Parts: sequence; C-alpha cells; structure tokens
Amino acid sequence: MKALILTFLLAICIPFALSAAGDSHADSAQSLGQLLEEAPAEEGILETFKAIFKKFDVRWSTLIAQMVNFTLVAFVLYKFAVKPVVATLDERQQKISEGLQYAEEMKAQLAATERERAEKVQEAAAEAQRILSETREQAKEMIEVKTQEAASQAEAIIRKASEATELERQKMLSDVRKEVARLVVDTSAKVLTRELSDDEKSAYSNAASKELASS
Amino acid sequence: MQRNKKVTQLSKRLVLLSKDSAGVVTEANVTEVLEGLRKFEPRHYLLTLKTYLVLLRREIALQTALVASPAALTNESLEAIAKHFTEHYQRPINAVAAEDSSLIAGVRVRVGDDSYDASVAGRLQRLAERVQ
Repeated sequence: MKALILTFLLAICIPFALSAAGDSHADSAQSLGQLLEEAPAEEGILETFKAIFKKFDVRWSTLIAQMVNFTLVAFVLYKFAVKPVVATLDERQQKISEGLQYAEEMKAQLAATERERAEKVQEAAAEAQRILSETREQAKEMIEVKTQEAASQAEAIIRKASEATELERQKMLSDVRKEVARLVVDTSAKVLTRELSDDEKSAYSNAASKELASS
Repeated sequence: MQRNKKVTQLSKRLVLLSKDSAGVVTEANVTEVLEGLRKFEPRHYLLTLKTYLVLLRREIALQTALVASPAALTNESLEAIAKHFTEHYQRPINAVAAEDSSLIAGVRVRVGDDSYDASVAGRLQRLAERVQ
C-alpha cells in the first residue's frame, strides 16, 4: 500500500518538477521530440540526457534544490498525511480482515450450531418418539388393567347383588312360610273348635289322657 | 316377704307334720297344725303362717297333677294319669281336672313346674314351630 501511494505521489510530482525546471523554456518542450529523433542511437542514453539537459537549460543547482524541496514536501506529506491515512487504511484493512475472519468464524460457528441444532432436533424427535411409544404402551397396559379392574368390580357387584337377592328371597320364603303356618294353625284351630262336638272333644281328651298315661 | 331362717325351718317342719304316713298333705293334718299354731302362737306368728302357706302350696302343687281339658274327663282317665305320674315321680300324685277351652281337644297336665301337653292346640303350635 505504501509503495503504491509513493509511486502515485512521484507520478504526480514528476510533471510538476519538469514544469518547474522548464518554466522559462516552455516553448522548447515542443522541440523535445525533435531532439530525440535527431539524436543518434549509437551515442548512448547518457549523451541523450546531456543533450536534453543542455537543450532545456537544466541547471544542476536548481534541479537539486527542486529535488530537496520535493523530498521535503514528500516527507512532510508522508509524515503528516500519508502515514495517518496509511495507518487508518491499515487499521480499517485489519478491521475488515478481522471482520471477515470473525464472519468466517461466525459462519463456521453457525454451521456447527446449525448442525448441532439439527442433531438435537433429531435426538429430540427420537426421544419424543420413544416417549410417545412408551406412553402408548403404558396407556395400553393401564387400559387393560382398568378394564380388568372394572370387570372384577362388576363381577363383585353382580355377586353381591345375587347374594342380596338370594338372602331377600330366603327371607321372603321364611316370612311366607311363617305366615302360612300361622294361618294354617289359626284356621285349623278355628275349624276344629267349631267343628268338634263336645262328645268328640271328650273322647279325644280321654284318649289323649290314656296315651299320656301309657307313655 | 321377710326371710327368717328359723321361721323357714319351723314352716318346713309344719309342712312335714301336715303330711300323713303316705306323704300326702291331708286336710286333717293341716287343720291340726293350724290349731296348734293358734294355740301356742310362736314368735313371728304371722310370718310363720305366711311361710307355711307358701311351702304348703308348693307341696300341694308337687302332689297334684292339674289336668286341663276342654271337655270333662272320665274318672278312669284321671286315675290313669294319677297312677302314671305317681309311678313317674315316686310320690303320691292326685289328679285334678280343670276346664280350658283354648286347648280345642286333648289334655295338658301340669305337675309342679313340669308340663305335659297332649292337646290339639299344643300339637298345632309345635307343628307351626316345626314348619317355621
């Protein structure tokens, strides 16, 4: 980045330096092309530059002063403008890199989290399925148990009802038997009292006396 | 009634004196005992008389077969009953007839606290109890 900026500054400054060197020879620049065309190729590049310097009236003192100025300006620019800008750019670049790295890490974490979540969801689904199956089995067993209990209770109730009915029937039969016996005895007593004559009663009483005496 | 040991012993002896040689309470003996009591008037005279009366009634009841029937019985039947219970209890028993129309027919004999039922009403009652 630094090299790129310095190259950019030099590229900007070169035209200014040339213009400063040839302010008084502006018109002679137009003949630079002609000079290059006229110079023989075999004399070397050094001779060409010398010819150019002479043609454009370049003085070494002025050139060095300009170069010193340029260096100072470049140093000041570099120190107070380029360096903070470069630092800021580096910082931003670092932040961007860190952000990108963080984003990559986050992406990886997100993927891992997503994968973990999917596994958890799968495990939860399996667990839910297992719990559902167990619950169904327990419900089925409970229904069977409750059904058996209900059947037992129903049988007990029916048995108790049958026993109660039987007891009630026995009681009714006993009551009926007692009532019939009472009625038979009362009726027989009344009939015998009314139907038996005194002679018959006397004869029966004497017979009973004899029977009692002989027993 | 008050209880007095001496009075009770005296009354029991008076009851023994009221019996004849066969062990039967006779009117003559009872009359003689009463005259003797009136003559001597022992201590607790009234109490002695009451105790004597109770014991005498009990003794007479033990010696009497009360034969209840709805119709009159023949002497032959009464004698047969008296003979039977005399042999049964090994003491002289006198049969006395009593009328009880609730028996319908037959007899019911009572000797002391014992009861013998040969009546139609009793048989019907036993039949009803057996059916129940």
